[in-house]
Amino acid sequence: MKNTKPPLWELREISKAFPGVQALDKVSVSIFAGEILALVGENGSGKSTLAKCLAGVHQPESGELIHQGEPVEFAHPFEARERGVATIYQEFSLVPTLSVAENIFLGRYVVKSKLTGIDWEMMRQQTSEILNTLSIQFDPDEVVRDLSVAEQQLIEITKAMSVDSTLLIMDEPTAALGLAETRQLHELILRLADQGQAILYISHRLDEIFQIADRITVLKDGRCIDTQPASSLEMMEVVRMMIGFDIGQHYPKEINVTSETCLEVDHISTETGVNDVSFDIKVGEVFGLGGMVGAGRTEIANALFGLDRLTEGSIKLYGEPIQLSNPADAIHAGIGLVPENRKEDGLFFNFNGSLNITLSRLSSILKWGFLNLTQEHQTGKYYFEKLNITSSGLERSAQFLSGGNQQKVVIARWLFSQAKLLIFDEPTQGVDIGAKIEVYRVINDLTSQGYSVILISSDYLELLAMSDRIAIVRDGKILQISPAKELTEYELLSIASGAEGNGNG
Amino acid sequence: MNNLVKFFRSAIAGPLAALIIAVILISLTTDRFLTTQNLINVSLQVSTVAIAAIGSTLVILTADIDLSPGSAAALTTCVLAILVKNMQIPLPLGILLVLVMGIGLGFINGFISSYGRIPSFVATLATMSMYRGLAFLITEGHPIFSISPNLEQIFYGKLLGIPLPFIYMLVLYAAAAIFLRRTRSGRAIYAVGGNESAAHLSGIHVKRTRLLAFILAGLAAAIAGTLMSARLNSGSPNYGVGLELAAIAAAVIGGASLAGGSGNVVSTLFGALTVAVVQNGLNLNAVPAAWQNLTLGAIIVLAVGVDMWRGDIGKNLSRIFSFRKGDENPGRQRTAS
Repeated sequence: MKNTKPPLWELREISKAFPGVQALDKVSVSIFAGEILALVGENGSGKSTLAKCLAGVHQPESGELIHQGEPVEFAHPFEARERGVATIYQEFSLVPTLSVAENIFLGRYVVKSKLTGIDWEMMRQQTSEILNTLSIQFDPDEVVRDLSVAEQQLIEITKAMSVDSTLLIMDEPTAALGLAETRQLHELILRLADQGQAILYISHRLDEIFQIADRITVLKDGRCIDTQPASSLEMMEVVRMMIGFDIGQHYPKEINVTSETCLEVDHISTETGVNDVSFDIKVGEVFGLGGMVGAGRTEIANALFGLDRLTEGSIKLYGEPIQLSNPADAIHAGIGLVPENRKEDGLFFNFNGSLNITLSRLSSILKWGFLNLTQEHQTGKYYFEKLNITSSGLERSAQFLSGGNQQKVVIARWLFSQAKLLIFDEPTQGVDIGAKIEVYRVINDLTSQGYSVILISSDYLELLAMSDRIAIVRDGKILQISPAKELTEYELLSIASGAEGNGNG
Repeated sequence: MNNLVKFFRSAIAGPLAALIIAVILISLTTDRFLTTQNLINVSLQVSTVAIAAIGSTLVILTADIDLSPGSAAALTTCVLAILVKNMQIPLPLGILLVLVMGIGLGFINGFISSYGRIPSFVATLATMSMYRGLAFLITEGHPIFSISPNLEQIFYGKLLGIPLPFIYMLVLYAAAAIFLRRTRSGRAIYAVGGNESAAHLSGIHVKRTRLLAFILAGLAAAIAGTLMSARLNSGSPNYGVGLELAAIAAAVIGGASLAGGSGNVVSTLFGALTVAVVQNGLNLNAVPAAWQNLTLGAIIVLAVGVDMWRGDIGKNLSRIFSFRKGDENPGRQRTAS
């Protein structure tokens, strides 16, 4: 087998910490030339961090990177490139207005001489050659903007391959791709491996990984659980390793479900991919939406908040049909959205805490048609106390609040707007554990006061613990709705990832 | 005391300080500055630009830009002249009509950029050209003189010894300040400029808000245009050249951020006054016009620079003078409150 040769890369006991998290804890992995090594794990398990250590983006705090027996240290991604490490990230690094050839040679144009300038002919020719060796059909003069996402992905790979590389790192390369495009990409990856490239393939789609990987490394909470040849593993075993058995975290879940119906969603579809989705939510219920990133959870939330138009179906709130053509309609009807990116979509850094809260219902602080600033300040103070937000944020820009406190300011905005249904999109992402528990308490308080909650979370433990019922979403559809108590993380993950439908791979 | 500290940290302090420094420096160079007649002159000079600058500030607050006020003002003078002189429409009605037209011009700007999704710089670059073109078209390129004997009164009249344009300016600034600070639409303008996406998700009608800012800017430009025609009792397609830049300069010197969401009209007024005072001072000292343009440019860079570098300057000073150790100065943080 390949393993009799010395490894191309050896990572020995790599550790890396970020403020508040031990992202990697003594992880050791070897990568051999010509193999596809898959790195799997839940969100936040350390996959991307490990890849970034190898790509020179992060510097590990301890441990060794060994390239063909020689220890190396990378201060900068350039140095990793020089050692033959090419990385393809989730976000593209292509310039859309330039041609394929220009993109591939970006930053290292071939210069004929100082007088005649850039040697376009040479670059075009070389691009064609590279494309040929990869068996990709492209005109080097084609402008990148006109290519499909999948084609751009291929150009991205071509670009990475055009510098002599021996290791190709791909972080969730199929996240934006359809089925046919994914297959095209996989064929290319297999071809590259045949040519002797080592490939580190990061994905949370287990079905894919079992199709192409030679070996699988499972990470959990920054630790390497195991590395095994794919042929000797079963998909369910991998799922079990990803979850681990110590479900030790404590969630302060309260059950406040009543028999009254809050929201009825009847066969809705949108152009953004929501496909014939139906469910209902009771007053006081926490309704979880589980699924992989990109499965359509956020799109369902957007439809309920008036961000995406319905192409089919209807929505009723407290028995009343509602038409949502923009967020203002949804807010008026009594729906609030706590967005995933609170900095980009939630907060106003040019406003202090009070102003951030009252914006959702300025009509209620009017006096003689003008904003009553005293009442506004008191409102802010009331919610800051109610949600236990650092009081300094009342007078200062919301920018200076911690992540958890910022989150609570956004929640306060919806409490003030008299929303009855709150949609939480990844509410605990990027907040520390103390603030997480605060958010859970807020959810409990809300449901006990008759609010209903839709919870979107990629933290499955959190989702299982805090939801009353969970809908599992994949490809814009709800596959099943079950009481959270009857669902295990194992089942949730295997259904959401598509492992179940594919048997044992 | 606490209020005093608060004031000096507020957004108004910088532009006000600049104005005071300008006044002191100029009074030192010439004793003709602080005379009643000269101050009346300054107030007459500043009013047109300052009123147009209200509009620029509103538009800049939503993170847009309006390049058309100069042309809109020119068109206003021409339409007013045609209505009142050629068509014999009563002056008050004529003024009312051109103000409505200003709203319409603003609506066009806002509609193209907000609903037409054409960047406001481009949209108003186009209308800047179009509005002036229209002004030339309807006047066939000729100025129209002696519109109405009553028109000059609007500009040269006085109330309690104070020139009327100065009073219009103060009233309009007060109205704009209350609008921005105490109305829902005013708050929406700050929200849209501060974070458009969050504003949308908070139920603010983003497009409508941006449109409103442009409409009010169009109205402000028409008021400025009316004052221009009153000053010379004439209308001309050549009036108001560069007004848009002077207005933007006033807003920027007043500390409005072109990124949107921060700034206020009172600071803009101080910005406009600073420019007027400096120009007047240079005139009094017989500095050639070319040097005045250079000076205006330098003031813009300095005013914005001081604002941007405040944090750094503070930090460096505290490093040099170690007695300020531990006093962190994160730079000015503006809020709308």
